[in-house]
Amino acid sequence: MWELIQANKRKSFFLFIGMTILLLLLGYFIGSAVNPYSGGITGIVIALIILFILNMISHFSGSKILLAVSNAKEVTKKVHPQLFNVVEEMRIASNLPAMPKIYIINSPAPNAFATGRNPKNSAIAVTAGLLSMLNRDELQGVVAHETSHILNRDIRFMTYASIMLGTIVLISEVFLRGMFYSSLAGGRRSSSSRGGQGQLIIMIIAIALSILAPLFATLLYFAISRKREYLADASAVRLTRYPEGLASALEKIAGSHEELKTATKVTAPLYINNPLKRKGRKASSLQSTHPPIHERIKILRNMAHGANFSDYQEAFSNVKGSVKPIIPASGLTDHEDIQIRKGEAGKGKIKNARQSKRNLEDLMLNVDRYDFINCVCGLKMKVPPGYSGNEILCPRCGRKHKTIK
Amino acid sequence: MIILELHQVEIDYCPDCKGIWLDTGELELLIEDETEKKRLLNSFKKQEHTKEKLYRCPVCNKKMDKVLLDDEGDPVMIDKCKKSHGLWFDKNELYLLLDKSNAGKDNKVLNLLNDMFNYETGTKGEGA
Amino acid sequence: MYAVFIFLGIVLILIFYIIGVYNSLVKLRNQVKNAWSQIDVQLKRRHDLIPNLIKTVKGYMKHERGTLDSVTNARAQAMGAQTMGEKSAAEGLLSGALGKLQIAVEAYPDLKANQNFLSLQEELSSTENKISFSRQNYNDQVLFFNNKTEMFPSNIIAGMFNFKEEEFFEIEDQTEKKVPKVDFA
Repeated sequence: MWELIQANKRKSFFLFIGMTILLLLLGYFIGSAVNPYSGGITGIVIALIILFILNMISHFSGSKILLAVSNAKEVTKKVHPQLFNVVEEMRIASNLPAMPKIYIINSPAPNAFATGRNPKNSAIAVTAGLLSMLNRDELQGVVAHETSHILNRDIRFMTYASIMLGTIVLISEVFLRGMFYSSLAGGRRSSSSRGGQGQLIIMIIAIALSILAPLFATLLYFAISRKREYLADASAVRLTRYPEGLASALEKIAGSHEELKTATKVTAPLYINNPLKRKGRKASSLQSTHPPIHERIKILRNMAHGANFSDYQEAFSNVKGSVKPIIPASGLTDHEDIQIRKGEAGKGKIKNARQSKRNLEDLMLNVDRYDFINCVCGLKMKVPPGYSGNEILCPRCGRKHKTIK
Repeated sequence: MIILELHQVEIDYCPDCKGIWLDTGELELLIEDETEKKRLLNSFKKQEHTKEKLYRCPVCNKKMDKVLLDDEGDPVMIDKCKKSHGLWFDKNELYLLLDKSNAGKDNKVLNLLNDMFNYETGTKGEGA
Repeated sequence: MYAVFIFLGIVLILIFYIIGVYNSLVKLRNQVKNAWSQIDVQLKRRHDLIPNLIKTVKGYMKHERGTLDSVTNARAQAMGAQTMGEKSAAEGLLSGALGKLQIAVEAYPDLKANQNFLSLQEELSSTENKISFSRQNYNDQVLFFNNKTEMFPSNIIAGMFNFKEEEFFEIEDQTEKKVPKVDFA
């Protein structure tokens, strides 16, 4: 576990350096293309300033912004005791220094993500649909996957990577647009200006870089985020000792046709399963942020011998038919066997459709802080948080009920 | 407005004025008989000038239309959202409508409504 | 002259290295201790939950006196246990008694529909999970610590400052290993 964190930290660092170099090159060449004398330095400075500001924002309120954009609401234990218990179980198993904050997204689409600055300031968000669909062991699998993202420092990596990517895209866009309009307006003047061949070459490099850098950065970002999904699956199994829990959960998630409306292209890589429905595009293409979910399920179900990282690696090789290492070699050092425990994944939660829809709606009302009053006569009253009266007369039996203020 | 639930049926209800709000489509669910459903849904008639106070839709907060329902017998005047968010029934209006719409004695919905508002209809009397 | 500087440099690097390894050994050992106290916290939580559970269940399960008494007795024994060995054995018995109670509950549909009981059951089975996960974590921490004390070159420093290997938490009783079967439907 620990070695894995170290390997991940190193990788994050290299990615950070790589993207920074890409950004500085971009700044230098665009600057030089605009002004051949001092533009290069100015370009670098401007790129650094933009990067600094965006990083500050993401460091101090990145997770808050992400949670707000996803329409996630922080909840108390009263709203869903089981979710709280499962998160605490995983906090104990993974030895996190602090309990992650818990958020629920009011959407029937089953999905989940983790975010935060570090393991001390982290948050886990799950949708109401996920909670109404999964049984306890399956929910534990999903929460373990998210806890692994926190433990493996993926949350910080993802935030930084997306900010870097955003900066590179922003600068390239601005430059390309600027080029386009200036060539429309004053093309003749710039072509007649002095500078000769050297300047022309710099201009071509700048344009090529502006087109290629965002593509390159995107591929880098997606490739690593895909790998981290496998890693989080492997870590989740090591935490829960129960691959079928996560496998069964992923199966249910894959089977749902509900769409998560609050997810965007930027937040998509955060989720446990890609929330954006693919439109005919092949799932395993370079552009996809997640490994194909059916492959992940297959790998988990192939783990017959144990719950160790080496067992996951073995299952991965069996399913993919390749020996490509997915777990860093340093993570494969612990040789003690870890047995898989028994569980109840796949069982339970088979209620009639109407009942489960009602449960889902009640949960969403609960998240919206509705107060539930159960009258002795059997009538349920669901009172919104802004209700003005002090008491409610049960229309069925006439009993008086006090409302919570 | 609060939500009432009995036997897995939910109804939006105002404890102050005893009115009931039905989202679009919910009235259709309440009426079991197909021909009766069609007849009733086609009997909507907008009223331009009435003395009744105009209400605002609880969903979009826009002023609602006054609509006459079931003009063959005693018509019932209810409020309908201009953007079709739903229907507003004053105290007892929904009950009256369902009661006289040939729904019959063993109509489940009517029985449920009777049950749900047992105390209210029992003590405060019908009419209104 | 240069030789002196080089020698001093090497000594400094060595001192810093020793300090670094020593600190990480202390940190790892503290994590082992911390993990151990986590197990205690969860065991205590289980003891606290049981009286409530018995109170709720009593009214429904009139014919299960024996099962209920064995849970109450096992709890008293576990709370009174002093040594490691006693504790481990008593907690094992308590888990077994609770497991039997869970099975007995299956015969009482009224009880299974009781909201109060359901939330107690969720708390109890979660506490069982937390106990086994905190054990799992304890063993993980012991593994990290022991690796550090065994492997070269940190084992030299561990030997210098008398860091001894910690023991794993093994479960003797096989019934202990099984988390009581709970129906979450």
